[in-house]
Amino acid sequence: MSPDANAQSQRLADGLRVNYRFVADPDLAVTRRYGLIHRRGGPGGRDVPRPATVLLDRDGVVRWLALSANYQVRPDPRDVARAVRAL
Amino acid sequence: MTAGRLAALSLLICGVTIGGYSLLIGVAAVRNHPEGYVAAYAIAATVAGLSVALRRRWSGWLALAVSVLLLTLGSYVNFVMARIPDDPTALRVGERAPDFTLPDAGGRRVSLADYRGKKPVLLVFYRGYW
Repeated sequence: MSPDANAQSQRLADGLRVNYRFVADPDLAVTRRYGLIHRRGGPGGRDVPRPATVLLDRDGVVRWLALSANYQVRPDPRDVARAVRAL
Repeated sequence: MTAGRLAALSLLICGVTIGGYSLLIGVAAVRNHPEGYVAAYAIAATVAGLSVALRRRWSGWLALAVSVLLLTLGSYVNFVMARIPDDPTALRVGERAPDFTLPDAGGRRVSLADYRGKKPVLLVFYRGYW
């Protein structure tokens, strides 16, 4: 999920050739509801999403959560895979 | 080591750091330790400083200027720009995530509720291209 326009996300999806869905939250309404805003973190002091990875089980309950305190840092895919397998 | 060689070593450290970090950004062990590039620029600046202390030649000054500039920029990015204030999130492990309905890249609507009782969901929030 990102504030990117659909065309931008489609280019990213085509480039990465992955089969997950890219969801657009252009005004950050959902990101804000989730409390995942990096306030004034973008160019010109705009709000941007805080990088976060959230694993939900079949009931929609949060089972695993990776929040970064530095936007360069993202979870190791092996840790994400381990959390998915542990469901 | 001569002043010229120290200057060259300093510039080499800078180049390898920029190239290595750009090439290996996809490797979690590299990407998730951004303080590594700051440390590398600090070492490069120290080596360049030694070069200038040994002999005041243009090569030493050039290496010092390049490494100090990269150290300043790198420190700013890592310690100021990239730092995210620890605001409270609405997400707690063990609690249900808020529902949403949004369009996907193909323009089709996606509801979190559609997956309930069917599949686990991995939600990845990222900054996008602005």
